[in-house]
Amino acid sequence: MTIRKNYRPNRRAVLQASGAALMGLTLLPRHSLSAEEKQVNFYNWDTYIGETTLADFQKASGIEAKMDLFADNDELFAKLKEGNPGYDVIVPTNDYVERMIKADMLETLDHSKIPNFSNLEERFQDAAFDPGRKHSIAYMWGTVCVGYRKSKVKDGVKSWKTLYDSDEYAGKVSLLGDAQNVLGHALKYLGHSLNSKDPGQIKKAEELIIANKKNIKVFADDNGQDLLASGEVDICQEWNGDILQVMEEDDDITLAVPQEGGLLWQDCLCIPKGAPHPQNAHAFINYLLDAEAGSKIADFIQYATPNGAAKKLMDKEYLENPAIFPSDETIAKCEAAVFLGQEVTKLYDDAWTRIQAA
Amino acid sequence: MESWRDNRFVFWVFALPGTLWLLVFFIAPLAIIWALSFGEQVDLVNVEVTGTLQQYARALTDPVYIQIIWKSIWISALATFLCLVIAYPIAFLISFASTRWKTVLLVAVILPFWINLLIRTYALIAVFRTRGFANFGLEWLYTTAQLDHVFGPFEPLPLLYNNFAVIAGLIYVFMPFMVLPLYASVERLDKSFLEASLDLGASQVRTFFSVTVPLTMPGIVSGIILVFIPCLGSFLTPDLLGGTNAQMIGNVIERQFKAANNWPFGAALSFLLMYATFGALALRAAFAGRKQGMEV
Amino acid sequence: MAIRLSTLGSQGPIDYSRRLWLRTMVALTFLLLYTPIITLIIFSFNDSRRNVVWRGFTTKYYVKAWNNDSLIEAFTNSLTIAVISTVISTILGTMIALLLWRFRFPFKAAYEGFMALPIVIPEICMGVAMLAFFSRVGFPTGMPWPLNLSAITIAHIAFSFPFAAIVVRARMAGFNRELEEASRDLGASEWQTFWNVIFPYMKPGVIAGGLLAFTLSLDDFVITFFTSGPDTVTFPVKVYSMVRFSVTPEVNAASTVLVVITVVMTVLAMRLQAPDKTEAH
Repeated sequence: MTIRKNYRPNRRAVLQASGAALMGLTLLPRHSLSAEEKQVNFYNWDTYIGETTLADFQKASGIEAKMDLFADNDELFAKLKEGNPGYDVIVPTNDYVERMIKADMLETLDHSKIPNFSNLEERFQDAAFDPGRKHSIAYMWGTVCVGYRKSKVKDGVKSWKTLYDSDEYAGKVSLLGDAQNVLGHALKYLGHSLNSKDPGQIKKAEELIIANKKNIKVFADDNGQDLLASGEVDICQEWNGDILQVMEEDDDITLAVPQEGGLLWQDCLCIPKGAPHPQNAHAFINYLLDAEAGSKIADFIQYATPNGAAKKLMDKEYLENPAIFPSDETIAKCEAAVFLGQEVTKLYDDAWTRIQAA
Repeated sequence: MESWRDNRFVFWVFALPGTLWLLVFFIAPLAIIWALSFGEQVDLVNVEVTGTLQQYARALTDPVYIQIIWKSIWISALATFLCLVIAYPIAFLISFASTRWKTVLLVAVILPFWINLLIRTYALIAVFRTRGFANFGLEWLYTTAQLDHVFGPFEPLPLLYNNFAVIAGLIYVFMPFMVLPLYASVERLDKSFLEASLDLGASQVRTFFSVTVPLTMPGIVSGIILVFIPCLGSFLTPDLLGGTNAQMIGNVIERQFKAANNWPFGAALSFLLMYATFGALALRAAFAGRKQGMEV
Repeated sequence: MAIRLSTLGSQGPIDYSRRLWLRTMVALTFLLLYTPIITLIIFSFNDSRRNVVWRGFTTKYYVKAWNNDSLIEAFTNSLTIAVISTVISTILGTMIALLLWRFRFPFKAAYEGFMALPIVIPEICMGVAMLAFFSRVGFPTGMPWPLNLSAITIAHIAFSFPFAAIVVRARMAGFNRELEEASRDLGASEWQTFWNVIFPYMKPGVIAGGLLAFTLSLDDFVITFFTSGPDTVTFPVKVYSMVRFSVTPEVNAASTVLVVITVVMTVLAMRLQAPDKTEAH
């Protein structure tokens, strides 16, 4: 049984246990365990790491990595907002990294403890959302793009027009189910920035979507790729990694980034404030950036890795897959999401509420 | 009913554990959120409780929220009613079955609900989608009956991504909340009342509506409460099964606590929903109280 | 009575469990209830990473699920929480139901409303409330198993026991109070009256309430997510996190195993429960 392997009875544990028995109303500091026991608490998406990475790390360093799971960035943010219950390493997406930096929720990284940082490709060694990468390290990256069924969509999808402003595939289109993606790409189609803060432009995007709603089958929460694979829709807006997974099993499905460009995302490794094991957290991040460990992770999850050294160990099939690594030209047209501030977020949310109620 | 003064010891033994648990582990946490509903988000993480009513004002003045609440109410009401209609025969059959079968049927009703909601909902999608088993089954019936020669080829029914799917999904999710209280209530039905009614010449239908239903009313009411209220707050089912306008108030509330990062507004919406529910419950209590008064 | 039995044979007028139309209706409902479950079981043998298209038969996901430590850990955590929460919620709920049934006291209507609060509150609101609460009181996290589950269990009990109370209360509404009074008049103690008179009558309500509490706890995601510490993954938390990529057939396999275990246990329980001992307690 795996459950008991972490059971280490000691005086402090017993103390804490009795604290809990007293309904947790004791004033014990959270994490009074000695600062650096051999443990690191990793907070990640399920299956978003190599199959043996955690065990390999323990073998290499003697530190036991425990992985807890969250389902989306909003949940991660909401949960850590009230204080860190004990996580050492988290994996937020770039706009949430920015949010968390602004909210002072992230520890400053000690780069001297992360020598493998140099394994990252140069363009990932700095970022607009985290200048100097003081708080975050790139883990995986990708785009939001369009997946479609080749036999049904003969000419391919060239522009967001097909999804946002056309009845050619009426009832066979799905969009993502969150405000920023739905509105952001409409803004992109209208020729604005994906991160527009202009209320007028946002309003225009809202009107565009409401006018086109009759052609959209569903705002898919996170299962657009399933809809595509089952033939429920022929065109879907999705994260590229999700489309990639159905492409493996169905040759008739492919993906494209429309000419206007899409959203560019980057999941990052960060240490939240109040992490109980910051030393181990640095060691763990450093390990994930290792060439071999990185290549095993990339090989398992099949997302684009920013790790140049790891890429050298990968096969051609992965490296030359345009669905994983879009061309530089495409990337140039894409835009990363930016945290827009509380006021603008409210504008997007209101617009999104109205779109769905219309 | 005895007064609590008659037997103070028993009264406190029954009252204290549950009340304390609820006070410490529910009311105290909820009080924090209640306070937030009178505040505003000053920056990303901090909410200042200023005593403002602006969150409530926003919810009540923007017609879009009233419209969504109204939609949530009728969807939930319809789902609850259909749930009652479907669950009553099941509860009835279980109650009248032999003891052995009672166990089997009870477990059979509850078993699907021990499978994770999300997995169950995905399975439901696999059944309902255009190329799902429901449509395959219908197509088979259609072609077997040679209807395709008369009406042309089979057109798959759009069973997903509309209000029908949301209501079907809600019924599917909340079924045990209706069956269990109904069962507990029908089971204690004194069968001799039914026999008496039938002996006196009432039809089965009349017996059902004049004897069975009134006698099982507590179970019916409990079932309605346990289904209708959680339906109102549900967000996963409309999210996954609904079409482009499926959003219910639960979705809006969920978004405020997550993507929109506006806890005060989410709190205000939650409490508005609660006040409304309590208003309805209080009306019911007043009504029930009057009836009870008449009986005594 | 005897006359009617003899004249009508095996199907009496209130022998509803033998009515064909009632049976048909219930059978149809069960068909609808179980079609998705059967689909899920079928897809657990599907040689594909997702539940969409059939790509051949395999049992590899059962092997994978069995070897997946984190999946088994999540499952064990969920079951542990559900069992503890069910026992405590059923007891608390029953006591509250009896309280409301037996006593008159000031502000009773308000008290009933207070008890209904956890049912009324939207899940996410309660989840966030729990998050704020546990972090503000400094509830210790990172404790050894199973104490690390205590925050989740406490929250589960808080939202489950009012459900149990409502079910038991509905059952008690029809109890003939004279029985209780008679028992006391005959000199039975408070406890004897409860155990020999009230409890046997109440039992179906308690079972129904317990089943409800178990179901609620086993399936809860939102509140669990917000009360969990760094090493307390439960089954729903795992499933929701998986969805970002796809719900793998491993989860279907694990769910199938749960179904099979429940069915086997029910059959065993039925075997043990000889027909003449049905009222034993």
